Amino acid sequence: MSAGQLFGQALINGILISGIYALAASGLALAFGVVKFLNLAHGEFLMLAAYLGIFLFSSYGLDPLLMTPVVFTLFFILGAVYYKTLVKPVLKAGELNQLLLTFGISIFLQNLALILFGGTIRTISVPYRTHTISFWGINFGTARLLILLLSIVLLVGLYQVLQRTRVGRSIRAVSQEPEGAALVGIDSEAVYLIALGIAVGFASVAGMMLSIIFHAEPMVGFNFTLKGLAVVVMAGLGNVYGVIWASLILGISESFIGVYLPNGTGWSGAIFFLMILGGLIIRHSRVSEV
Amino acid sequence: MKNFKLKYVIVAAAIILAGIFPFITGEYYRHLGILTLMYAVLALSWDFAARAELVSFAHTGFFGLGAYTSALTFLKLGFPLYLSFAAAVLLTIVVAIALGYLTLRLSGIYFAIATLAFSEVLLVVALQLPNVTGGAMGISVPSLFGGMRVYSYCLILGILALAVVVSIYLERSHYHLAFSAMRTSPGAASVLGVNTVRYRLASFTLSAIFSCLAGAFYVHYTTTTIPYEAFSLTIGVASMVMAVLGGLYSTAGPVLGAIVLKIIEEYMRVTIPYGYMIIYGLILVAGILFLPKGLVGVQKKWKFLK
Repeated sequence: MSAGQLFGQALINGILISGIYALAASGLALAFGVVKFLNLAHGEFLMLAAYLGIFLFSSYGLDPLLMTPVVFTLFFILGAVYYKTLVKPVLKAGELNQLLLTFGISIFLQNLALILFGGTIRTISVPYRTHTISFWGINFGTARLLILLLSIVLLVGLYQVLQRTRVGRSIRAVSQEPEGAALVGIDSEAVYLIALGIAVGFASVAGMMLSIIFHAEPMVGFNFTLKGLAVVVMAGLGNVYGVIWASLILGISESFIGVYLPNGTGWSGAIFFLMILGGLIIRHSRVSEV
Repeated sequence: MKNFKLKYVIVAAAIILAGIFPFITGEYYRHLGILTLMYAVLALSWDFAARAELVSFAHTGFFGLGAYTSALTFLKLGFPLYLSFAAAVLLTIVVAIALGYLTLRLSGIYFAIATLAFSEVLLVVALQLPNVTGGAMGISVPSLFGGMRVYSYCLILGILALAVVVSIYLERSHYHLAFSAMRTSPGAASVLGVNTVRYRLASFTLSAIFSCLAGAFYVHYTTTTIPYEAFSLTIGVASMVMAVLGGLYSTAGPVLGAIVLKIIEEYMRVTIPYGYMIIYGLILVAGILFLPKGLVGVQKKWKFLK
């Protein structure tokens, strides 16, 4: 493999993985931007969906990607229930309580998964898992390509909904000015519920994708919470639109560090920290207001 | 007046019990007692930061930093035990001030995210520098006081006593007023002349120092540790939950929480060997939703203890 091909491969791998990051992070960003709620248990919904994907495929032979609409609906409802039962009581209780509560839920779900499914890593092999397409000596994993396409479709769909529909306009209105939105008759409760539903729904789709190209284990979700946070911080907390390029930066820099640094795959797990710290310091003047 | 005395009777009884505990029990309970005291130190240290409205995940990192610095200076530089503790504390102070300088101007959520990332990265560094840290295989040190648990007990009791003294000082001095003002309204506090960043830095550094001491003690006491243990969120989470359960912003709360939770954990560990941490998640959720003032708050409702 030539140096150019290596570079191209690293770039492509980074781009292919960033779709999952964008999906996971856009849910976090939506919940934060609209509901003003930082959900540290976000990744755990991803983890649960990954187990569901593995269960669906290994028990019924259902392809996780084809099941996306069903799973999205299911997790949308779960997100709505989550909002009604756990999120709503602490929304006005301050940041400390929100953080501790969602962190508690995260620990609870991780250990529930550990008790129910054990600590072993579970994988499935869908027929196209190892299939690749090659261009100019650069390999595109078919599964990863499909996943990236699905992510793009979903994100474009989300932006269209936010921009063009009545619901989307209500969501943006509540996000920008909750009191103003209430004054013109927008039911902010319903908007919060929908936003959290979409956030959890997107997490579940990302989880389905994980089950295909990665694996399921109890701790897999928390990693995505951290990486999602890095993306969200870099995009600007609550900024749904900035998520795409921030995910690309995370995915590509992880990939390059993995390829070019000695023992790089271990170090690539630390890049999100630099993004978080860099993002926070650069945006320092802006964030101190929130 | 009668009730006022009862409080002191309870405190005196607790001190006496803590003092004679290692001499009246066997090895197993001595071991359990030592770990409970260590968690009490950690829970108090987490509470120090919480008092200034900081949700810190950095104590996980400082625990590991303390463990590794102390063990490595002891092993590789041949420092005596007390110097290795001092080296760990010194490094922690430097790191805490540097991290605090970068992050303490951020509001709550951003600070929490940054400290979480800080702890995770220390884990990566410990794993990625095998020449220095031993990598994933971890490090081993000779056992503390030749394995005499009574001495270990006295050492950790001493560290806890120091933490309690600091905590009582924070409660009775101007820090208490500044912290309450900052918790009620950071903006109003700074307008009234409370230097919020300085108070946060003080509470954050104190929190880091005691987490580091607990970590340094831990590695010498258990004689071996690996990055996934020293920098694990498990220990950090446990101490956080202990403070929440026992009652935030108090001295008795985190200590009481540590004792109660350690007993529950020990029982759970036997019944559910994997996933016993589920109880911490449950208690954290239930504590936030139903017990905002913790066990200490419940206790205050009982008239006879007032």
